[in-house]
Amino acid sequence: MRRMLRLHRIFVAQYMKNLMEYKVDFLTGAISFLLGQVIQIAFLGIIFSGIPNLVGWEFNEILFIYGFSLIPKGLDHLLFDNLWSVGYFIVRKGDFDKYLTRPINSLFYVICEKFCVDAFGELLIGLILMVYSMIQLKLTITWYMIPLFIVAVVFATLIYTAIKIATSAISFWTKASGHITHMFYMTNDFSKYPTTIYNKFVRTFITYIVPFAFTAFYPASYFLTGENPLFCIGGTVIASVVLFMISVFIWNKGIKAYESAGS
Amino acid sequence: MIYVNDLRKEFKKTIKEPGLKGSVKALFRPNNEIIKAVDGISFHVDKGEMLGFIGPNGAGKSTVIKMLTGILTPTSGTCEINGHIPQANRQKYVKEIGVVFGQRTQLWWDLALRETYSVLKEIYEVPDNEFKKRMAFLNEVLELDDFISSPVRTLSLGQRMRADIAASLLHNPKVLFLDEPTIGLDVVVKDNIRNAIQKINAEEGTTVILTTHDLADIEMLCNRIVMIDKGKKVFDGEISDLKHEFGQMRDLCFELNHTDDISKLHYVIDLKLKDDDIEVKNEGTAVSVRFNSDAVSVENMLSYTLSKVHVKDINLKDADIEEIIRRIYRQEVSIDEV
Repeated sequence: MRRMLRLHRIFVAQYMKNLMEYKVDFLTGAISFLLGQVIQIAFLGIIFSGIPNLVGWEFNEILFIYGFSLIPKGLDHLLFDNLWSVGYFIVRKGDFDKYLTRPINSLFYVICEKFCVDAFGELLIGLILMVYSMIQLKLTITWYMIPLFIVAVVFATLIYTAIKIATSAISFWTKASGHITHMFYMTNDFSKYPTTIYNKFVRTFITYIVPFAFTAFYPASYFLTGENPLFCIGGTVIASVVLFMISVFIWNKGIKAYESAGS
Repeated sequence: MIYVNDLRKEFKKTIKEPGLKGSVKALFRPNNEIIKAVDGISFHVDKGEMLGFIGPNGAGKSTVIKMLTGILTPTSGTCEINGHIPQANRQKYVKEIGVVFGQRTQLWWDLALRETYSVLKEIYEVPDNEFKKRMAFLNEVLELDDFISSPVRTLSLGQRMRADIAASLLHNPKVLFLDEPTIGLDVVVKDNIRNAIQKINAEEGTTVILTTHDLADIEMLCNRIVMIDKGKKVFDGEISDLKHEFGQMRDLCFELNHTDDISKLHYVIDLKLKDDDIEVKNEGTAVSVRFNSDAVSVENMLSYTLSKVHVKDINLKDADIEEIIRRIYRQEVSIDEV
């Protein structure tokens, strides 16, 4: 584990040096990303200025859930973004060879090769939204909520990551699976709003099948209401652990089916 | 050291009709075909040996190398290297091998070359003093100093290949796999790389498995070759054996004074040869005769030719390894189970 952390630090440092090699690209990327986020928030404000509440949730509560959803999403984006490339081109082009000829876990190696600084935008805005809405709601924080928050965020992040691992591992059989990952990933948009606004099918889907509801609405609703901690936080932990185990299993099976590319 | 036993790898390939229509059709009703890329190959390599692995394009060389390096999982059969089964204990195993794929680089593209080595040092957990010694040695044999501070993307192909070979040797591997290490390089760099490989093999006792299309690599580096074609082993032995076994065919080339003179030559009848033993090709005044030197001596061949026709120029080509292999590839020579 210590070795992994050390390697991770080294890879991140390498990646940062890489970014600095192309300063213009890096700067424009950062600026455009921040701009995108600001526009998104402004848009949310416009929508909610017309709708005072949504199935019993008032504007600031929605804002809190929305802000919370950005934290695990941002963390996953920050740390595990390279999984996208696996499904889109690493496997198809045979570049996965490289990861298999190194004495480190291939999944770990792929993951820590990229460090997506763009994600700081999401994280920052997520935090701002949460703090702002908490002040507006005059939410009281008890001490045990802080470790619970950390647990919820860590495992919620793992849900994102596990879904990306499992879907990008499909490429070991199909050569490319970026669009499959994209399809599953996009359902996370559902999780930014209370699940009670959806019909039964969507609700079941995002709770039990692709459990994105556990990345935002369920844990966030616990922090808002203090109700149902077992389901809201415990459920997040269980969903993410089960999903993660399945995804690693698929990944390891996938490596055996990997066919490389002619050279 | 390396034992390969009845190794096989099959790929499933979807046969598509041409065009978009064919692609759409294949999507709904795939027509699959099993391709046997490697079809039952066995061989073994001793410690410190340098083995040349040759075969025409698409013969399955790279597939074998990829199975030996743990990248691909064999469909059946086994390979054991240094007591490891590559796929079973991959992480531990790859620590003992070095791999260079000539067509791909393992260096960090945008960073100074030096950075690649410092990352690899961490990945392979090479201790500081060991690393310094190793770098000094690699510097000496591969002359990296000139470009170690340049970003990898700015290196020439020759520099990059040297850098790649150094990268694969940083952790002092017991086995080095080189897949076309001299592809696309000029003569000087090729020589430089061959010398380096030879030196590393001599000084460290590193076992080397090398695939190449440049037979000069083989002649200079390897005592033994394994030749494969269509996924099957067609030859396994020393280069001198290959020459001995298939080298009896010689080429006599000459230029006639008069084009019509060709009709005066009747090798098969006059020298009492079998059709298989001789082949005559001519184009204008240039004639080339390939003959089996076991069936007719070089002397007889020459004196017969010169007694019949007048020639401007004549030369006799030695059996070179390239010619032999070319003929095996083209299946002009059949090889029974070796």
